[in-house]
Amino acid sequence: MTDPIVLLQILWTGAVTASSYVLLTVAFSLTQKVTGLWNFAQAGTMGIAFYAMYFLLNDLGQPLFAALPVAAALAGASGIATEVWGLDVLRARNSGNLTFFIFTLILAELIIYILTLLFGTEPQTLFPSILSPVHIVGGIAIGEWDLWAVGITVGALVALQLFLRLSNDGQFLIAVADNARLAELYGISARRAYCVTAAIAAVLITLAMYLFGARSGITPNSSMELILTAVIGTLLGGMGRVFMGGLASLVLALIQSYSVLVIGSRWQNLLIYGFLFVAIVVFPRGIHLPRRRLRLHAAQPG
Amino acid sequence: MEYFMSVAVMIAIFVILASSYNLVIGYGGLATVAHPIFFALGAYTAGLLAIHTGLSAPLCIAAGAVVAIAASVLLAASSLRVSGDYLLIASLGFQLGLLQMIRNFEWTGGPGGLTDIPATITGAARTPAYLAICGAAAAVTVAFIAWIVRGPYGRAITAMRDEELAFTALGRNAMNLKIVLFAIGCGIAGIAGGLYAFYYQYLSPEQFDVLQSAAILTMVVLGGMGTTWGPVVGAALLLAVPQAITFLDLPPAIMAPAQGIIFTGLVLVFLFLRPSGLIGASGRGAMPAALGVHDHSGEGA
Repeated sequence: MTDPIVLLQILWTGAVTASSYVLLTVAFSLTQKVTGLWNFAQAGTMGIAFYAMYFLLNDLGQPLFAALPVAAALAGASGIATEVWGLDVLRARNSGNLTFFIFTLILAELIIYILTLLFGTEPQTLFPSILSPVHIVGGIAIGEWDLWAVGITVGALVALQLFLRLSNDGQFLIAVADNARLAELYGISARRAYCVTAAIAAVLITLAMYLFGARSGITPNSSMELILTAVIGTLLGGMGRVFMGGLASLVLALIQSYSVLVIGSRWQNLLIYGFLFVAIVVFPRGIHLPRRRLRLHAAQPG
Repeated sequence: MEYFMSVAVMIAIFVILASSYNLVIGYGGLATVAHPIFFALGAYTAGLLAIHTGLSAPLCIAAGAVVAIAASVLLAASSLRVSGDYLLIASLGFQLGLLQMIRNFEWTGGPGGLTDIPATITGAARTPAYLAICGAAAAVTVAFIAWIVRGPYGRAITAMRDEELAFTALGRNAMNLKIVLFAIGCGIAGIAGGLYAFYYQYLSPEQFDVLQSAAILTMVVLGGMGTTWGPVVGAALLLAVPQAITFLDLPPAIMAPAQGIIFTGLVLVFLFLRPSGLIGASGRGAMPAALGVHDHSGEGA
C-alpha cells in the first residue's frame, strides 16, 4: 500500500506540472471553438514565445517583466499574421480539412526549423536554476514556484472567463463560434474575432511556455509534443468546451503522474498517445458528464 | 555520380510510399496521417528478420508487408467509423503510440535505432543495383495503382469516396472496401519500408515521425492528389530540391535545418500558388473531399 503522503505529493506535483498543459489546451481549444480549425501552427507560436523569452533573458539580459510581454507580443503577431495571410486566404478559397492541416503543420515545422537553425538542438531552460525554495506543509513539499505556477494558471483562466462573459469582444467570439455567418449579419466581424482569438491564444501560450520553460529543458521540437497534449485535452474535454479541455488536460497530467506507480516513466508518453487514440475512437465528441436535472420547484416562478 | 544515384534511390522509395498513400487518401478519401508507421513496420520487420533469422531479403520484405497489412486492419477496423478531422487525429495517435513502443523496446534498437542490418548487395554495384530494384518497384507500384483505380474496383472506390451513403444504399459494404483499400496501401508502404531498411541498413524512430507524415502528405498534395503521376512528381521535386544545398558544404548543424526550411518553404509556396497540385485533378470527380469545398466558418463548433 502506497503511503498517502506520497499519493498527495504526486497529486500536488502533477497538478503543478499540469499548469502549463492546461493553458496550452485552453489556448488550442478556444481557437478550435472560434475558428473551427485544429491549428497545429500553435506549436510554432510556442517555440516563438519560448525562444523570444530565452533570448531576451539570457542573451540580452533583460528582466522578466520586459521579456514576458515582448514574447507575448511576438507570439501574438505571429498568430495574427498566420490568421491574416494564411488561414484567411485558405478560407476564402473554401479549402478542405487537409489543406488546413497541412498548412498549420508545415508552418509549425518551418518555425521549428528556423528556431533550430538559430538556437540549436540542445535543451534550454529560461533560467540558470530550476530550483526554488520549498516548504513542507502536512508532509507535502510545496515549492514557492509551484504556488506561482498555480496562481498564474488560475489567474489566466479567470481573466479569460471574465473576458468572454463581460467584454464585447468576448461575446463576439462566442457569437462567431456559434455561427460565424449569422454573427456577421449582425455586424460582428468574424475576421476580427479570429485575430482576437489568435492574440488571446498567444498570451496563454506565452504564459504556459514561461511556466514550462522555467522548470524543464526545451528544444525546438518540444512544442510538437506539447501541441499533442493540447489536442488530447481538447478532444477529451469535448470540442467547443474550452474550460473542460483544460480540466481534461489536468486529469491527464495527474493520470500520467500516478502512472509512475505502476509503469516505468519511459512508457508515460505511450499512455498519452493511447488516450488520444481511445478518445477519438470511443469519445469522438468528448466525455460528457450527466447533466444535473433541474428541480421542478426551481423552474417554476414563485 | 554515386551521390545522384543514392538520391534517385531515395526518390524511388518515396514514389512507392507516396503513391500508396495517394491510393488511400487521394482515391479512397481516407484522411489518415499514419502512413509512415506502416512504412516503419515494414522496415523494422524486414530489418529484424534479416538480422536475427538470415532470411532472404525478398522474404523479409514480404513479411514486412504482411505486418503492415495486419496493423492497417487493426487501425482501420477500430477507427474508420470516424472520418475527417477525427480520423486524422486518431491515426496520429496510432502512429505516435506505435513509434513510442518502437522507441522503448530494446529489441528494436530503442531510440538509438536499429543497426547492423546486413548488406544484401555489396561493392561498387550496390547503389546502381538498388536503383534498378527500387526504380522497378516504383514503376510496378505506379502501374499497379493505375490498374486498380481504372478498373471496376477503382470505380467502386470512387463511388464510395464521393457518395458513401448512395454506395451503401446500393447494397455495397463501404467498410469492407475501406479496410481492403487501406490494407493494400499500407502493404505497399510496408514493401517500401523493407527496401528502405536494406538500402540504408539503419533505422531510427525519428525517420517515421510526424514530420514524415507531413512530408508524404505534401508530396501527394503538391504533386496532385487523386492522380497517378502526382505523387511521382511530388516525391521527386520535394526530395531533389533541398539536396541542392548539400553542395555548399555546410556544417551538419546548419545543413539539416536549412534543408527543412527549404522543404517546408516550398510546401507553403506551392500550397498557395498551386493548391490543386502540379498535376491537377482531372475534374471535380477526381477531387477528394478532403481538399474540396469545406466550410471553416466555425458554425456548430
